[in-house]
Amino acid sequence: MSTVLRALNRLLDQLEEWLIASFMAVATLIIFAAVLHRMSAQVPWLWDYTGRFDFTWAQELCILMFIWMAKFGAAYGVRTGIHIGVDLLVTGASPPWRRRLVMLGLLLGALFTSIIAFLGARWVLFMHETGQVSPDLEWPRWVIYLCIPFGSGLMCYRFLQVFYRFARRGELPVHGAPAVEPMQPMEPAP
Amino acid sequence: MTAVIIIAILLVLLATGTPISIALGLTVLTYLAVFSSFSMETVDIVSQRLFTGLESFPLMAIPFFILAGTFLTEGGIATRIIRFAISLVGWMPGGLAMAAVLACAFFATISGSSPATVAAIGSIMLPAMVKHGYPKRFAVGVITTSGSLGILIPPSIVMIIYAVSTSTSAGKLFIAGVVPGVLLAAVLMAVAGITAWRKGFPTLPRAGSGEILTSFRAAFWGLLLVVVVMGGIYGGIFTPTEAAAVSAVYAFVAAVFIYRDLRLRDTLRVLLSAANTSAMLLYIVTNAMLFSYLLTSEQIPQAMSAWVTAQHLSPWMFLVAVNVALLLAGQFMEPSSIVLILAPLFLPIARTLGIDPIHLGVIMTVNMEIGMIHPPVGLNLFVASHMARMGMTEVSLACLPWVGVMLLYLVLVTYVPEVSLWLPKLLGMR
Repeated sequence: MSTVLRALNRLLDQLEEWLIASFMAVATLIIFAAVLHRMSAQVPWLWDYTGRFDFTWAQELCILMFIWMAKFGAAYGVRTGIHIGVDLLVTGASPPWRRRLVMLGLLLGALFTSIIAFLGARWVLFMHETGQVSPDLEWPRWVIYLCIPFGSGLMCYRFLQVFYRFARRGELPVHGAPAVEPMQPMEPAP
Repeated sequence: MTAVIIIAILLVLLATGTPISIALGLTVLTYLAVFSSFSMETVDIVSQRLFTGLESFPLMAIPFFILAGTFLTEGGIATRIIRFAISLVGWMPGGLAMAAVLACAFFATISGSSPATVAAIGSIMLPAMVKHGYPKRFAVGVITTSGSLGILIPPSIVMIIYAVSTSTSAGKLFIAGVVPGVLLAAVLMAVAGITAWRKGFPTLPRAGSGEILTSFRAAFWGLLLVVVVMGGIYGGIFTPTEAAAVSAVYAFVAAVFIYRDLRLRDTLRVLLSAANTSAMLLYIVTNAMLFSYLLTSEQIPQAMSAWVTAQHLSPWMFLVAVNVALLLAGQFMEPSSIVLILAPLFLPIARTLGIDPIHLGVIMTVNMEIGMIHPPVGLNLFVASHMARMGMTEVSLACLPWVGVMLLYLVLVTYVPEVSLWLPKLLGMR
């Protein structure tokens, strides 16, 4: 792999991680703030200050951020190997067949996500024509829906990446619980 | 016929080992492209559902609860909960095994996920039990099974998904899960205790009241979270989703500023790990909703409903069928997709037979618990097998006797609706 491609990949990795972590954090803070804001209505002297803010948009923004987080996070999940499948047949198969099955499974992932990216892009164009806006924030819908072609496109890229690595080195990302050393010392209750 | 074709496509795709979410989505696309009169309209509906399927505020409780759970797991709350549980029951026969169940039950009150509970409690309890002379197999069985309490004792991700897919109240379902959850914890503790006592597994010295108090104080901030969540929802202060957001902030403060086991710069790692799990679940939700849409547009729920009505099934026979179907589905799917696909199929029939939707929700949740400790797609088994460095077959065998216990418990929950409905009724949630 060329150096440029490797640098681009690293940039993409970081952008992806940074994006989903911030969506998660910001959505949490927004809803927390909205709850505090609503509770402050019970306290007259506090409401004098907080009453002038308006949090009706909070729910919508939270939903949008989580959907974006979900679409890009799904791509991240391919990289971390968190998407589970039924591996009964795969683990039971002989090594050459196991290899074929795993590769087929990854290609199916790439196929599905590329179709979805295409359908999503079509839908974005359609939304662009209608000029619809979201109910509370009044943001253009086509921009909001961009997460589908971009997220699914990225996910397709991740599947191909994993496929390439598996084909070359036979490695698969495995997501598991943090491995614990078999005997961790622990003090019994006195 | 349609149903057979759809299920056949799904099974073939699943067999390749491709992720369940992808298999569900591809089944929909394949069916639409090959077996139905292909129209651009259906394709448009599919594209739209990719986004609108997730556009629900109640659903957003899932990432929030996962975030709260991740903060607490990484923030050392599990260690403190375990110490408290040991101080309470460690001295009894089979004390460590009972403490493991109790710790899982405590942890379930702050976590909505079963695999997370197994990971949090098991990573500490498993080595401790083995060190004290418990056979590894028994220890793995106890922890993997009691970890499944995570989805029965509120908050619960499976219950949120049931509530969203059937338009019932997640808050009410949470309250309904309390008694079955506590009862199951008691049953598991009794079984673990009696087994350990009969086999002569070691017990610990009795903890003094000082240790109980100290360990309770240490665990207090974690355990208080359940009061915030349940009290807040029941008291009408906030919706389940808002409660989840509040508990995520609370868990962050507890982990970073009260327990100080987590440094501020660890926050990014926690956020990323929570986002990873949430996105995986929401991806399954999206595709399971597409699948569910396909079933609906092919009139399968109506056909099924008509067929069941024609058989003149009594409620108890219907519930047997429901349980068998759920247990079978649990063989090759994971809980969220099963609930999203099957709950809308079962609910209309249950309604005509006079079965409470909340009761059905609890039955489905207990079924999902069994699916989690049963191969091949038992999520708890995956976690336990990683943790204990045991093969899937061995872990599955370790859980087998426990599957039996759970099945008996399922019968109780199915045929004694009061177990689930007594508390919501008492609290006037009708």
